[in-house]
Amino acid sequence: MTETVAATGLSAGTALSRPKVRRARIRGKWPVLVLFLPPALLLFTVFVILPMGEAAWYSFYNWNGYGLPTEWIGWKNYELIFRQGAFRNALVNNGLIILVSICIQVPLALWLATMVTKHIKGATFFRLIFFLPYVLADVAAGMIWRFVYDGEFGLVANIYHTFGLDAPFWLADKNAAFSAVLGVIVWKYFGFHMMLFIAGLQAIDKSVLEAADIDGATGWQKFRRVTLPLLGSTVRLSVFFAVVGSLQLFDMIMPLTGGGPSNSTQTLVTFLYSFGVMRMQVGFGSAVGVVLFVICVTLAFSYKRIFMKND
Amino acid sequence: MAGLELRNIAKNYGTVSVIEGINLKIDDGEFVALVGPSGCGKSTILRMIAGLEDITGGEVSIGNDVVNDLTPRERNIAMVFQSYALYPHMNVYRNMAFNLELAGKPKAEIDSRVRQAAQMLELEPLLDRKPSQLSGGQRQRVAMGRAVVRDPSVFLFDEPLSNLDAKLRVQMRSEIKALHKKVGVTSVYVTHDQVEAMTLADRVVVLNRGVIQQAGSPMELYRQPANLFVAGFIGSPAMNFFDATVSGNTARTAGGEVFAFEPGPKVSDGEKVTVGIRPEHLQLGSSGISGQVSFVEPTGGQTFVTVDVSGQPVVVTVSGEETINPGESLNIITNPRQTYVFDSRTGERVSLN
Repeated sequence: MTETVAATGLSAGTALSRPKVRRARIRGKWPVLVLFLPPALLLFTVFVILPMGEAAWYSFYNWNGYGLPTEWIGWKNYELIFRQGAFRNALVNNGLIILVSICIQVPLALWLATMVTKHIKGATFFRLIFFLPYVLADVAAGMIWRFVYDGEFGLVANIYHTFGLDAPFWLADKNAAFSAVLGVIVWKYFGFHMMLFIAGLQAIDKSVLEAADIDGATGWQKFRRVTLPLLGSTVRLSVFFAVVGSLQLFDMIMPLTGGGPSNSTQTLVTFLYSFGVMRMQVGFGSAVGVVLFVICVTLAFSYKRIFMKND
Repeated sequence: MAGLELRNIAKNYGTVSVIEGINLKIDDGEFVALVGPSGCGKSTILRMIAGLEDITGGEVSIGNDVVNDLTPRERNIAMVFQSYALYPHMNVYRNMAFNLELAGKPKAEIDSRVRQAAQMLELEPLLDRKPSQLSGGQRQRVAMGRAVVRDPSVFLFDEPLSNLDAKLRVQMRSEIKALHKKVGVTSVYVTHDQVEAMTLADRVVVLNRGVIQQAGSPMELYRQPANLFVAGFIGSPAMNFFDATVSGNTARTAGGEVFAFEPGPKVSDGEKVTVGIRPEHLQLGSSGISGQVSFVEPTGGQTFVTVDVSGQPVVVTVSGEETINPGESLNIITNPRQTYVFDSRTGERVSLN
């Protein structure tokens, strides 16, 4: 009997004190909110929210950026975007970049990561070598590869000339240019993905892999049935970065091809720059920006929702 | 099932030798514990038996086959790791079935073997859970289930209980013992805990710095330690040691304390020795070695009393019923048949017992 009374008393006390605790906790948070939130909120509003709103607003005008936008044209800019062959090219190219990232870059990075995490001589040196392209500025990488691909003086030309062949001008060939660009993208970013996988591999408990050895797994079975499932969250993160990175790709393309020839190497951002900024079509460019924003947000959120919900 | 033999096993890391010429024969169905302080090489020996570590010299055989060049999967051994090493992405059932799946066993056989092992270890209600949803003790049992299910020739345990709390450790200890009784597979158990080794094993192998110090039944090690290291390592609280000089049937310390003992054939007068007496072999009395109590540690049934004898702390185990306070003066009586004497230079036991 005494026990029952004591237990009831305790639970009533706990129930009463809970809102009080919560209130005290909120009261304790106020100074932090007041001190730290406004600067961040102000910066975010001025440099992110407002420009986004403005871009959406300008996208309904035919405006060259001088003076105030006055010529309201409704959805015309958007209609124009979807009628542009160059935009469709850019869209397809962004899709191709994502595809190549997932099918070539990520597996390549994973394979190299498994190699350089082994305790073999020179592994650290190769880690550094593989990571170097990522350290290079995008613009510099674009310029280097423009010289590499040059049909007269470049490395590719030299290789062809060694065999007594005429060198191709890949970057000037609209059928070959984007493949050449894809090659540079893989070269430039696989090191970054490799680093993610190295971190992921190092987080796997070594004894789990030893347990798989004892359980009788071959090298491939161990990778397929133990390592890869345990790297799941890293693979999903890596693909996420590849998707987002493809949508941001700009500064490497500009020195490499400038989006040409015949718009064959445009990406969404180079398209925005070439058709919106360079041609002083700020209204049109804003509309492209809005489309890009919608694509980015949709892709990022749905990817996180579908694939990364447990990470 | 099969026996296991280590013949002159050695392991070097570059120029550093960690294991030197280990010879050990383990009979079929025997439970052997390798015990020693951290860094003594016990886990390395286990990993060499498992095939997870290369063998620098010597031979390991399981049954009649030398397995030096075989991969872990070809050795038909099962291992329970300190960290359990369960596959975090698989549920308990799949963790236990993984080995059988890899071996290409039919589904029905896998199912019956997993369920049988689960029943034996009371894991049936947990089969659908992931390792992260299990407690430490449950994980430990799954790790054992994973080992049992495959019907191995040899069981290897690498400090399997050190991540558990004291109470659970005692419980799991008896479960391991019961499991060994049931399946009767040759087992090698590595631990740094001498109590674990003594309670579980048929035979205990004490290691230090990569060398076997003594191998024998738990009571043999306790009653007849081969050297100073084993004497100090086996038994809790640890044996008391005194530096002394032999004179006939006695050993005399610099402080004037005299210990009677039964000398063996190798001992001679004037020899520098170390006298060792276990705390439970010292008794309080009206005569004998006198000292002052410096502190008292009651543990319930027994009390450990530390007595200051000529500036040296000596631990005496007395019944929990006795009331002793710090500062008191006491006399300690020793029994010559329970007084060990070791050669100070070599560490070897020179007394008869």
